[in-house]
Amino acid sequence: MSESTTDKIKYGLLKTIDISGFKVFDPVVRLLFGEEPTKQAVDIVKYLVTPIVFVLLCMALWTVIAPRHKTKSGEVPTPTEVWAAAVVNDTLNEREDEKETDFALSGEGREDAIMEVSAALIIKEAESVELKSDLLQIEKDVKAEITGKIAPLQEAYDRLSQKNRMIKAERETNIHSLAEGVASKKAASADLLQAIRDDKAATEAGRDAEKLIKEEINEVRNNPPKALKNAQLASNAVANEAGHLSKRLDYLKTGNRSLKVTEAEDKTVAALQKLEDASTPAAVLAAAKLVVGGEETAERIAEQRYPRTATIWFQVKRSLFTVFIGFIMAAVIAIPVGIMCGLNKVVMACLTPIISIFKPVSPVVWLLIFQIVVGAFFPDPENHPLFTFFASLPLVGGLGINPALVFSACTVAICAVWPALVNTALGVSSIDQDHMNVARVLRLSLWSRLFKIIIPSSLPLVFAGLRISLGVGWMVLIAAEALSSSDGLGKFVWDEYQNGSSHSFANIIFACFVVGIIGFFLDRIMILLQRSVSFDDGAAVV
Amino acid sequence: MLISYPRVTSRLLVLTCLGVLLLPAIGCSEKEDTTSTPDPSMGTEASVEDMGAATPSDPPPADMPSDPPRADPPADTSAATKAMAPLQLEKDALKFGFIKLTDCAPIVIAKEKGFFEAEGLQVEVIAQPNWKQLLDNVITGELDGAHMLSGQPIAATIGFGTKAHIVTAYTLDLNGNGITVSNAVWEKMVSNDPALDSPTPRHPITADSLKPVVQEKLDAGEKLKMGMVFPTSTHNYEIRYWLASAGIHPGMYTSEDIKGFTEAQVELSVTPPPQMPSTLESGNISGYCVGEPWNQKAVTMGIGVPVTTNYDIWKNNPEKVFGVTKEWADANPNTHIAVVKALIRAGKWLDETDASGTLINRVEACRLLSQPNYVGADFDIIKNSMTGYFYFQKSDKREMPDFNVFFKYYGSYPWYSDGIWFLTQMRRWGQITEPKSAEWYAETAKKVYKPAIYLEAAKRLLAEGHIAEADVPWESDGYRPPTKDFIDGLEYDAHKPIEYLNSHTIGNKD
Amino acid sequence: MTTPALEIDSVNVGFGPVSSRTEILANINLTVQQNEFAAIIGFSGSGKSTLMNLLAGIQQPDTGEVRMHGRVVTEPGPERGILFQNYSLLPWLTVFGNIELAVRQVFPKMTRAERKDHIQHYIAMVSLTGSEWKNPGELSGGMRQRLSLARTLSMRPDVLLLDEPLSALDALTRANLQDEIIRIWEEDRRTVVMITNDVDEAVLMADRIIALTPGPKATLGESFPVTLERPRDRTTLNFNPEFKTLRNKVTRYMTEINQEAKQLRKAANVTLPDLSPYDFTAV
Repeated sequence: MSESTTDKIKYGLLKTIDISGFKVFDPVVRLLFGEEPTKQAVDIVKYLVTPIVFVLLCMALWTVIAPRHKTKSGEVPTPTEVWAAAVVNDTLNEREDEKETDFALSGEGREDAIMEVSAALIIKEAESVELKSDLLQIEKDVKAEITGKIAPLQEAYDRLSQKNRMIKAERETNIHSLAEGVASKKAASADLLQAIRDDKAATEAGRDAEKLIKEEINEVRNNPPKALKNAQLASNAVANEAGHLSKRLDYLKTGNRSLKVTEAEDKTVAALQKLEDASTPAAVLAAAKLVVGGEETAERIAEQRYPRTATIWFQVKRSLFTVFIGFIMAAVIAIPVGIMCGLNKVVMACLTPIISIFKPVSPVVWLLIFQIVVGAFFPDPENHPLFTFFASLPLVGGLGINPALVFSACTVAICAVWPALVNTALGVSSIDQDHMNVARVLRLSLWSRLFKIIIPSSLPLVFAGLRISLGVGWMVLIAAEALSSSDGLGKFVWDEYQNGSSHSFANIIFACFVVGIIGFFLDRIMILLQRSVSFDDGAAVV
Repeated sequence: MLISYPRVTSRLLVLTCLGVLLLPAIGCSEKEDTTSTPDPSMGTEASVEDMGAATPSDPPPADMPSDPPRADPPADTSAATKAMAPLQLEKDALKFGFIKLTDCAPIVIAKEKGFFEAEGLQVEVIAQPNWKQLLDNVITGELDGAHMLSGQPIAATIGFGTKAHIVTAYTLDLNGNGITVSNAVWEKMVSNDPALDSPTPRHPITADSLKPVVQEKLDAGEKLKMGMVFPTSTHNYEIRYWLASAGIHPGMYTSEDIKGFTEAQVELSVTPPPQMPSTLESGNISGYCVGEPWNQKAVTMGIGVPVTTNYDIWKNNPEKVFGVTKEWADANPNTHIAVVKALIRAGKWLDETDASGTLINRVEACRLLSQPNYVGADFDIIKNSMTGYFYFQKSDKREMPDFNVFFKYYGSYPWYSDGIWFLTQMRRWGQITEPKSAEWYAETAKKVYKPAIYLEAAKRLLAEGHIAEADVPWESDGYRPPTKDFIDGLEYDAHKPIEYLNSHTIGNKD
Repeated sequence: MTTPALEIDSVNVGFGPVSSRTEILANINLTVQQNEFAAIIGFSGSGKSTLMNLLAGIQQPDTGEVRMHGRVVTEPGPERGILFQNYSLLPWLTVFGNIELAVRQVFPKMTRAERKDHIQHYIAMVSLTGSEWKNPGELSGGMRQRLSLARTLSMRPDVLLLDEPLSALDALTRANLQDEIIRIWEEDRRTVVMITNDVDEAVLMADRIIALTPGPKATLGESFPVTLERPRDRTTLNFNPEFKTLRNKVTRYMTEINQEAKQLRKAANVTLPDLSPYDFTAV
């Protein structure tokens, strides 16, 4: 390879990583091409190794601190648990895939699958039984252990409370006699008052002492040994796996589409036979109806789709699609309006109050408003042409486009519209006067002035605005989905929060990373776009 | 990288075009929705043919307010053994909504155990964030049907809250709720009533020991706050009943006060079930009435103590129903029957017992419900109440075989008397602002509860051999016999709603 | 006599509200003949750019009028090609694209091939061949101004207006470009009005030098015809006595009017504060 081609590749690579915003890898590339190795090594240590070490340190800190913070819903999950949650979620997705395939399998494929799944099921069930008996044993042990620990405490508690009650009764008798004494002027009322005060204090002290023991008992009850929890989880995991396999068998056997179609067809054939055999007009009519009905049923069954359960990756896809739609809506509104604002001060003056008032409104409020408003457009969402159109599209058809998606997208749009609008207006209004003079000298028409001077000149700012918009939109969307239970990552998080199972916390943190990583990549894509339209190098801020 | 203008502008043009395409698509919706709802009598012929005495021109779910009190059961039950024409489904891909509570079990079981599939239905079961959203989604058609609070179809039909005609042909379960108070309140209750200071106190626990706590708060110028799940939910009426039976005023609804705080000594506010434990933990409320697993969750988390279940407040009270809109029911009569068939089988499966009376399928049901897309709580927590036990404290595990009833005691039959009880409670607490006649109560219940569909489904199941003849009250007039199974011992006779209303001390009287 | 290419007829320009109006240009009268190279020389801040804007039509006079070939100028147009001081290139377009934008607009009927030839011709004229696909950002200052010149020339303007075209460049580049502009002008004569603050430049390039008095109320002062033979060679010119005399004459004149203006301004504006020294030692 000649010197110049190497250089070309090197600078090409450097440019690419620079544009895509991964400038930290710059020294790595340079090092690979042997440019000033010591300097690059220092840079790598400074800007690549150190951050990595720092992140690892944070992870380590997380690992150490998390289990120490006990919440009522369990411990804060460690990175390992979050990773496990990610794996579980992926497994759930895989299971849905498997069931979907099973549902549609036919012929030999189905037979093979039955064999395979049955074999796996037998193993899993055996394992499950074993684990269950283990669990029972552990439960018994733990119970014995806890009872053993509690019994002396409970005894102490009973003794104490009995003693307290006895003492209290004594004090009360004492007070009564004092009261009698006071009534008959034999004792001083000050003594009685003091006695009552002492009694109150003593009762309080007694109650506190009881409470201490009670708390100890609760402490023991609330903290069963970790082994129990682990055994439960392990047993549940295997039982779930077995359950999944048996459900797969269902889909391969009774619930299988091809089987159901055959069954329906058989029925039609039988009905046809009946039609031929029938002699009375009523019987003929009935049989004919059966035939037609059977045919329809068979057709319908053949078109049936496996009703998938929403898994994390589905939610990711749907969220991405929603944010995309919302973002496009925002851009379509923001860019023309922003251009008009930038061009015409009157338009700007008209829109300023609207922008200023609505910009700070919380996405939640918008969500509720759109939820009410959008619903009215779709009285029959099942058969609405917009949704049937989307459902017929290849890639997004399976995402379940519905009014919920529309209002989530509208919420995203309304919240994302402002940065793009303001930036576009700014970009247009701050256009270089010299560029406008060029347009005037050339006597460009309004249209070419717009498309040849104004828009290109304001594009860097427009894209900077769009980038902010997309970031805002992504954040808003997750919140909107959580609140409205429109399918998407937000709903995933919300459902997990509502589930409140021992995996939920880890799942939420997992979702947090998914949201963050996707947000990061969306931002990178926007940087790429922004850079590709910016004419003065380095205008984009990474 | 730099770029020349044609590329830039063309990118912009693409954006603009996309927008232009989208806008009319959203706007044109109004034109398209006028497609008339299919004639309800169409497509029902096959099912109607074999219905015996039922008038052939009427589809089963037709609204018949002028009916005699008898819920027109199929005249000839013996004909059930005869083969029936298969149902011609109007729709086979359905979406049902549910709230993450164990009493959605029949819907989940019908799906997971393949009962829906057996009817040729492909059903998606989708979790909803709260009861209002769920109802709205059913009304807009986003969902075909849903797991609903018994009060919801009634309230929607009479127009309290969102107005829509909702009908139900299936009661999902009986009982299943509990009232939990925070540890602090429980301690005070214990100190008010030493009998409660035991690992296993005597039940039922009334709100009598709560009264001083309420009074103490009132003296401090505050009100005790408790949570319930929805203004027209069973929980609202149950916790009100429990409080009122001890002389604590839970507050009245008026036409202005739609929060129900008027005259309240305890303020009851709405919190979605899954958020109950965290709301209790954060101190916003001092107690709540909610379905499972959220009472057991409080025990596991150690943040509260369930003091009573609704089984103690009213034995075998109706809890959730399966609701659909009237339009949906009219447009899909055969599908509706098929759905109810699947639900009946699921209910029966859930209540299946062995010779010793142990519920044999509940563990499997818990396993299914604990999947994250259903209830999602830990299997061990769900198992607590579903398998016939209930933890009142960690130390206090009791057998409650009837805590969740899905099918026993004719539990899944849509009783008119259940609807009337909810109506009386709505009137009692002022959600119904005007006095109503006894006939109005009966008619309204009939608008919502549709036993005819239930019986038609049951008849088919009997013919298919999935249920026994004794499982269904074939000859009932839709009214349960009068009962005194309440915590305060008052008698409820659905034929005399006004008298029942007037027998309470606290609340509206007509 | 033919109508002059450009006429400025008793033009006044000011800015600000009526109450405190500042006159920038007052009573400007100028006539530029066909194919004449006129240089207007003035100090910075004297309203040179305003004058150029008037000629270009970007700005309208408050009173009086600007005429081109006898027609009143009301708006800018490609027949008066203007070369801006700071190039005014469109940074998102390539060298070729910048010229193409102008050519497309001015000669809409050109075929694609004709247009390409036309553009290439002007790119070659300013010696930018080989940089067609570069963006202005990648060009040096001199190259940018050359591109700007090519763009202006490509419109085939009747009148070329040069607004201090070289002032932002370093001396060497500047000399280089001066030669280039003269070469191009000599090849393809047309009316040119150049504004500059450099006497040498004016003498080197122009047929006539007109002084602009310092502002405010700047007006045109004395006019100096340059009768030096063309082509003028910068290296020999320095020894040319005529050149030296003219240069000195113009320079002296400019210095004089500048001092005059300063004195005038002083007399008009400066009022000394009423202060008297105070003796701190007494304390």
